Amino acid sequence: MNRLALWVVTLLVAAPALADIKVGVYGPYTGGSAGMGVCMRNGVELAAEEINAKGGILGQKVELVKRDDEAKNERGGQIMQEFLDKEKVVAVLGPINTGVADNSTRYANERKVPVIINASAGAKVNDYFAQAPENYIFRIAAADPLQTELTVKEAVDVRKYKKPALLCDDTNYGQGGRAKLEAALAKRNMKAVYVGKFKIKDTDMTPQVQEAKAAGADVLLVWGIGPELAAVANSLDRVGWKVDMIGGWTLSMAAFINNAGKNGNGATTPLTFIEGDTSGAKQKKFVDDYHKKFNENPIQVAVAAAQGYDSLYLLKQAIEQAKSTEGDKIRLALENLQQPFVGVTGTYNKPFSPTNHEAVSADQMKMGVVKDGTVVRGIAKK
Amino acid sequence: MQTLQLLISGIAQGMIYALVAFGYNITFSTSKTLNFSLGNFLMAGGVIGFVLYMTRGYPFWGTLLGVIAVGAVGGAILLKVAVEPSLRQRNAYGWILATLAVGIILRNAAEVFWSTDDFKFRSPLGDSPIRLLQHLRPDGTLSAGLGVYPQELLIIVVSLAIVAGVEAFKRFTVFGKAVQAVSEDKDTASLMGIDQRWVILSSFMLSTAIACVAGVLVAPITLVSATMGTVLGVKAYSASIIGGLESGIGAVVGGLFLGISEALTARFVSTGYKDVPGFVVLILLLLFKPSGLFGRAVIRKV
Repeated sequence: MNRLALWVVTLLVAAPALADIKVGVYGPYTGGSAGMGVCMRNGVELAAEEINAKGGILGQKVELVKRDDEAKNERGGQIMQEFLDKEKVVAVLGPINTGVADNSTRYANERKVPVIINASAGAKVNDYFAQAPENYIFRIAAADPLQTELTVKEAVDVRKYKKPALLCDDTNYGQGGRAKLEAALAKRNMKAVYVGKFKIKDTDMTPQVQEAKAAGADVLLVWGIGPELAAVANSLDRVGWKVDMIGGWTLSMAAFINNAGKNGNGATTPLTFIEGDTSGAKQKKFVDDYHKKFNENPIQVAVAAAQGYDSLYLLKQAIEQAKSTEGDKIRLALENLQQPFVGVTGTYNKPFSPTNHEAVSADQMKMGVVKDGTVVRGIAKK
Repeated sequence: MQTLQLLISGIAQGMIYALVAFGYNITFSTSKTLNFSLGNFLMAGGVIGFVLYMTRGYPFWGTLLGVIAVGAVGGAILLKVAVEPSLRQRNAYGWILATLAVGIILRNAAEVFWSTDDFKFRSPLGDSPIRLLQHLRPDGTLSAGLGVYPQELLIIVVSLAIVAGVEAFKRFTVFGKAVQAVSEDKDTASLMGIDQRWVILSSFMLSTAIACVAGVLVAPITLVSATMGTVLGVKAYSASIIGGLESGIGAVVGGLFLGISEALTARFVSTGYKDVPGFVVLILLLLFKPSGLFGRAVIRKV
């Protein structure tokens, strides 16, 4: 009882002192893509804790307003309106799912509140410039066109494969990836020898990999999410076909690595962050702190955690440069950052410009290779 | 060789459909009701099996016993809560929604109290495929041959054993005769001194226990998740309609037909159409032989 009273008093006393900077964070914390959402949120939380311990932003504490969008498009829209109308947030970080982002970011744009997308690869960002030159949507994550280009580059230019087969799931994500992979191949005057499809929850891909093999494929380019990609790897083992598997960042998810086990070894993907690659002191500290704070080792989806962590620091740098929390001023600061932004995913010199809101370029990307339950930095093959 | 590989995949998948389809048959033949939550009982079996075997480290046989017990108790509760009230009120179709609702409750409970992720269930027999029919290539290496998971063999053996066991029980024991009598004519069976409530209760317990065992059996092949039973439940239902709701053999044939047609269509037509042949046959059967391949036409005497 006494302790409770003490809590209440502390809260009452403490509350007015926290004239906070409110930042909205949304993503799926339950459901199929929860792994990515929770890691992103944890990354943001870790950054917020560090920032607050060092005096906050412009002397004010950061307060995170966290909401679960359940990967549902309509929830994304509701949450964004709650952020804007009720919580009056300064900026928004998130989400994971393309549909959620596209259903919500336009509200932020109308209300001039910056959104830094820290995971969704397919969400609209630069597309908004066509409607309005004042675009409040930014991204610090590898967009799909970049990931597909790097995937094809690794397969065709680096490893010199001639007959790629595509295996993609039938969601927006998978089919969007398929179209972009085909475009990247077409740029090199190549065509996939086989284009296969699978559904979420499919567990036996024997027919697809057989058909790819029969078509004479020498490399598999895959676009889907963890569990189904694991099924692809397991089916390859079953039919006894050893072939390189290259694809999007989802190959670094725990759901792929754990479920594929040894069959996942060698799967290669372009990433902004590799947990096993702690050559930098900043990266090592981030990984260690994350393991300690969330008691999770290895990190379920390290890329989402690192991008979440960076997104809040990026916002901090912009607010400090703008010396204001007004949306318009934050946007202008982001578009013209005076100091380079040093994050765990890389160092960004002028990450954004008034006409380009994509922070990540090929320079920040590393090739990650799955090896015995974790992701390590790829060594150039051949 | 390729086709043989596909047949093995298809048969293993088909036997799982068959096992759940058999669960539908059991309750239908005694009470003329279907337990539409069977798919989610399968999920419950997989999840509880995962917790016991993978998380807690119990031996596999102990896990199986635990899962069977949970399934049997679950079936009894389901009957009392969801099916009996509507039967008592002579409300012919209340049980459809009620059993579906129980299934949704099971799935949501798994999502809330357990996890929303997919997990790998290690097979007690090992996760590497057995290689069959390998031959030496001219360059001295072994060809890949056929890959068969030991777990798939286990699924086929256990499923056949369960179906054969229950069918034999029905035909050759006094209790089995009682079950058949109830399925033939409930009221007359009661007049003959057969406790039909007990027969219906045991049929529900048996069907959910079988579904739970099926969950543990498929888990190493699929993955364990709160949504693993949803599609399986629907496919198994169509398998039991194809085979005939009253026939145990029909459930097996229907399941195998679905499993094999899926694998072959995915390979030789298109992966996008893999579910089509099964459902086309289902519709044709409903048009021309609604009682299913092995079902007897129902003759109602007025």
